[in-house]
Amino acid sequence: MKKKIGFTCAYTPVPLIEAAGFSPYRIFPETKAPDQAGHLLHDNLCPHVKKVLDRALENDLPELEGMVFINSCDTMRRLADAWQVARPDDKIILIDLPSEMNSLSLDFLSKEYERLSRTLFKWNDETLEPEIISQKIKEKISQWNLLADSIKKIEEKMTQNFFPGYASSLQQIINTAATQSIDEALAMAKSKIEPENPCKSLTAPIFVFGNLLFDPKVYDLFEEWNVQVAGTDFCTSSRFVTQVEQGPDNNIFRSLADSYLKQTPCARTMDTTMPGSIAQRIVERAKQTNAKGVIGFTLKFCDPYLARIPMIRQALQKESIPFLMLEGDCTTGSMGQQQTRIEAFTEMLEV
Amino acid sequence: MMYEHFDNTVKGIKDKLNQDPEGINARKKYVLELSRLGRKLYSKNETIAWCGVTAPFDLLSSMGVTSCFVEFVGAMLASTQTAGFFFEDAEDAGFATDSCAYHRAVMGAVLKNAMPEPDFIIGTSSPCTAGLAVMENFANQYKKDFFILNVPQNYSKDAIKFLSSQIEELTHFISAHTKKPLSKEKLGLALENFNHSSQLLKDIYKLAMTKPSPVDNRLLRDFGVVMTLLMGTKEGVDICQAFKDELNQRIETGRHHASKEKTRLIWIQNRIQYPFPLDKMLDDMGAKIVIDELNTVTWEPMDPDNPFESIAKRMISIPFSMDTSQRIKNMQNLAKDYQIDGAINPCHWGCRQGTGARGLISKGLRDIDVPVLNLEIDCVDSRNLAKGQIETRVEAFMEMLS
Repeated sequence: MKKKIGFTCAYTPVPLIEAAGFSPYRIFPETKAPDQAGHLLHDNLCPHVKKVLDRALENDLPELEGMVFINSCDTMRRLADAWQVARPDDKIILIDLPSEMNSLSLDFLSKEYERLSRTLFKWNDETLEPEIISQKIKEKISQWNLLADSIKKIEEKMTQNFFPGYASSLQQIINTAATQSIDEALAMAKSKIEPENPCKSLTAPIFVFGNLLFDPKVYDLFEEWNVQVAGTDFCTSSRFVTQVEQGPDNNIFRSLADSYLKQTPCARTMDTTMPGSIAQRIVERAKQTNAKGVIGFTLKFCDPYLARIPMIRQALQKESIPFLMLEGDCTTGSMGQQQTRIEAFTEMLEV
Repeated sequence: MMYEHFDNTVKGIKDKLNQDPEGINARKKYVLELSRLGRKLYSKNETIAWCGVTAPFDLLSSMGVTSCFVEFVGAMLASTQTAGFFFEDAEDAGFATDSCAYHRAVMGAVLKNAMPEPDFIIGTSSPCTAGLAVMENFANQYKKDFFILNVPQNYSKDAIKFLSSQIEELTHFISAHTKKPLSKEKLGLALENFNHSSQLLKDIYKLAMTKPSPVDNRLLRDFGVVMTLLMGTKEGVDICQAFKDELNQRIETGRHHASKEKTRLIWIQNRIQYPFPLDKMLDDMGAKIVIDELNTVTWEPMDPDNPFESIAKRMISIPFSMDTSQRIKNMQNLAKDYQIDGAINPCHWGCRQGTGARGLISKGLRDIDVPVLNLEIDCVDSRNLAKGQIETRVEAFMEMLS
């Protein structure tokens, strides 16, 4: 069995982890560990990071060979800081992630990904020729791209028709890529690409966006509440499985940087030539997926999303697209309340 | 409204200065220069840039740009007790009450048209994600050009090169807006002023270490952060010189603060910005804040022959840009140098960057036997202030220290 490398952010290139001979293990904020993270950090931090840290403090983790952190936001930075105190013997690496997509940022990120690759091979005591390393990474990227293709096809089907259980299956495939291997996720994608259940008509296709929605059961609950998920944009959904386009200069790290930084971005990544473009992107995605409404689902205290909600609300309002904003805390504690609000929202859409 | 506020402050201090040139203290001179900056920002005749906290203000001033970090305005709105009006506007527009009130206040001011319209916007990824997000909101709201300086957390060769290249690119961005190229001579002068100010700051902080300390609870509040707005200028040098002279004079004349110095404190991050009699309370208990965490010089002198790299190194060296272990190491050194008895950490509600490290900071200072009082408080939004509770906790902490 391969040793595992833990990570927490969608900007972590899984092909690099696998190429170095490890299995990826995305640490989801799903745990029964007691709330302790607030003592080490602060209680007013995003529950994603707090729950991941709770898992570390309670040792509610598989054996990890190392941890990859991405400097994507303040809270992720603090998680990397706290990890060193919570698990001082762990090997960790923090990758700096620029906030915009210009050529300087891409150059820098490609160097950061190269540093990550070097570190991972070192952690696995692999001393290989650069050409062999490059070949291994390319192979993993090819598999990853096959997976990204399959996921894209599933998403396209989801947009056209409503197949009960399909959104939840898609999430299972993505979670498999995040926590087991690209191979297993690919096999699962092949078996699930054809919907198990016949197409059914629902009246409220909805586009859902936010930071984290990884539990497949939540998608089943949405369906029970009469929500047809026509498209999603989460760092745990298809955005995580980024298609890696091979650039003309054959530099794999530059290709990775290009693909990850230019992918559908997290709210923390900006296009300075179009400030506020996240709002327009969500409007466009809602239209592309023929959504009758949009649900925003973000975690409490997530600054990157909370700061953009007003502009997103305004842009949706301008296009007369109804919008429901929900806040969560990575538990199912508030599900009853969410259910009432979601049902009221979909009823309103059906009128 | 804001222009009049700054203009009246400038006139008032200048009148006093004319009547009694020797009678005016360093703090007043400092307020005078900041008010002049405020007046310029609101005068509508200047090239204005709204910026992130760690922007290179020396470089900007050398290129003829009047610039300021937006949190300064948030603090000013709180200190003049006008922030409340703006919070309501920001919250009505959907800005969460869980977010940082420095940013909520200025966003409200933008929505109410109470901020000067900038010519362009410069965001910085340090100190915080929320600060960069508010800059994007500014750019979106004003429909102005937006430049980001990504400040890496690793102090590596690649990181320094990345940031220095961005700073060089920033000069082209500014030139494109001002239609004036970068003058190496002017930048050299700004860096010379910066270096002179940095040396004076070191002297000031060294004097503040004296036991008993010549500072009082107000003299150097938030000094290190705000002084960066002026450090590339001749006025910045004059202010630093004035503070140094005043501290020397206080030591020579034995005029330390009226309160007896029983307890020496370090204040972590920023002060409480609205009127709140904590300073007076500490005075009465013989407790003195001898050092604010950010009153420190972490950078090497600027090299005029290599300006962009120098500025890049400086930006990365600021405690907020580094990881928390470095920040704690800096605090531990300050605590030792200033012979600190205790620390107060106002855990500013909504700050993931600084407050997010609350537990780690407490642990780091406890490791060197410095007790920490964590105050759960919003430093800008006073609407939910539990004044009595805060006072009780401060009293109990001081009793414990004594």
